[in-house]
Amino acid sequence: MKNKGSLLSEGAEAKVFIVKAFGMEILVKSRLPKDYRIKEIDDSIRKRRTKIESRVMYRLNRAGVRAPRLFAAGVFSIYYEKLDGKLMKDSSLGSKMLKKCGMLLAEIHNAGISHGDFTPANIIISHGTPYVIDFGLSEVRNSSEEMGIDLLLMKRSVSSSMFKKFMEGYAETARNPKPVIDKLEEIEKRGRYQIRTLG
Amino acid sequence: MLVIGIESSAHTFGAGICEGGKILANEKEMYHISTSGMIPGRVAETHIRNAALVIGRAMSKANVKFSDLEGVGYTMGPGMGPCLQVGALSARTIARRLGIKIAAVNHCVAHAEITRNMAHMSDPIVVYVSGGNSQLLRLQGSPRRYHVIGETLDIGIGNMLDTFARGIGLDPAWGSTVEKKAMSGSYVELPYTVKGMDFSFTGLLTKALELANTESSEDLCYSIQETSFSMLCEAAERAMLLSGKDEVCVSGGVAQNTRLREMLRKMAEGHGSRFAAAPNEFNADNGGMIAFVAERMLEKGYYTPIENCTVKQRYRVNTAVVP
Repeated sequence: MKNKGSLLSEGAEAKVFIVKAFGMEILVKSRLPKDYRIKEIDDSIRKRRTKIESRVMYRLNRAGVRAPRLFAAGVFSIYYEKLDGKLMKDSSLGSKMLKKCGMLLAEIHNAGISHGDFTPANIIISHGTPYVIDFGLSEVRNSSEEMGIDLLLMKRSVSSSMFKKFMEGYAETARNPKPVIDKLEEIEKRGRYQIRTLG
Repeated sequence: MLVIGIESSAHTFGAGICEGGKILANEKEMYHISTSGMIPGRVAETHIRNAALVIGRAMSKANVKFSDLEGVGYTMGPGMGPCLQVGALSARTIARRLGIKIAAVNHCVAHAEITRNMAHMSDPIVVYVSGGNSQLLRLQGSPRRYHVIGETLDIGIGNMLDTFARGIGLDPAWGSTVEKKAMSGSYVELPYTVKGMDFSFTGLLTKALELANTESSEDLCYSIQETSFSMLCEAAERAMLLSGKDEVCVSGGVAQNTRLREMLRKMAEGHGSRFAAAPNEFNADNGGMIAFVAERMLEKGYYTPIENCTVKQRYRVNTAVVP
């Protein structure tokens, strides 16, 4: 895949390109070097994060969680399926869809993964089904702290009635929802810890 | 409006004089750090001894008389209680004697505002890094306030560097010894923790201290600086790109570090954004910045009745109005 493709989006960490291969469109997420930090640190961070992200996608694919299919992982780039649809943040959502989003997060947690940035900007509604994207901050670790933060991020992003519907789906599907929901309450009570979103 | 500003939140007792946004004098005396760090009560005692001296020096440097003063500002917080008390007491005394109004200034707002104004920036991402604080700030809302869009989840970066320096037995002289030693070091791997726009320094500190017996102090100084500054830059980069801002400035005591400034400049300019820092005199704690903000506050009617001029050790930056 020599062709760099066309740039789809540019984040703080990576650029996403669309390339054509095997008769379809494939997304390539590349972590490009940052010249402000020394090469030793830069390389090790980019390698580590690419590895974690591809591992998370592989796990989710294997567990049957609705996420883009991983095609290949390089040292600094991962190649994965392009989904058609609209972001959750740009869609009007019924209570059924919110419940489905809650079930989606529960499935991610059931696979032993915390997403790290589970907000409406990272969910694509494709043909009436929500898919989760962007695993740049994900962790493969059964930690109720990190999972509680997933819930908190969603709670801060939607209205309280929407979050209630979301939680119905989560509690129904999650294998062990109680410690995570308890953790959510605990995190919210902490003084210093605030989750920030940029509007 | 001729205003005197008093700063005493940590190891520095400072007095500054400001008129029409111009700093006419900026005098200070610092508590000399020892191997035991800062003991709030002792620091406060030093401030009490220095207060009248520093204020007097600022007055004569600016060539003004007490009777010329039209307002007084002091640091209400955040900071160490006993130290803040000295500044608050000085401000109340001056105000009562002269019958002038007092502005209770937030220390973080003062750092951010002096840098933002000296850099002629209207709406930057402010990387505020000092001993006790490490935050990414941005002006928002009406009335304007600095919102925290990212911050340390545990200790401030300056505190981390000082604790590290003492831990490996360097001469205590704040961050500058680490900066000097770092110049001849090479890289040793240390933990790097960024969570979105937040970051954490304790893991890094613990690991660096653990390695003190096996690695040279030069290498550790180099690596702890490179790692922690890279973390700050990454968080600032994310904040800048997500918010769509094209200005970045750095303020606070750690902004005196040339390597940090160089890295932030590279990061910002790499995205076509403008970067700036204030002269070092204003990066370290100082009374000038307090006078600067106090003047604006008083001109816009933000003054505090003298009976409410107390201290707030945990005065969050996002609760203070920016005049």
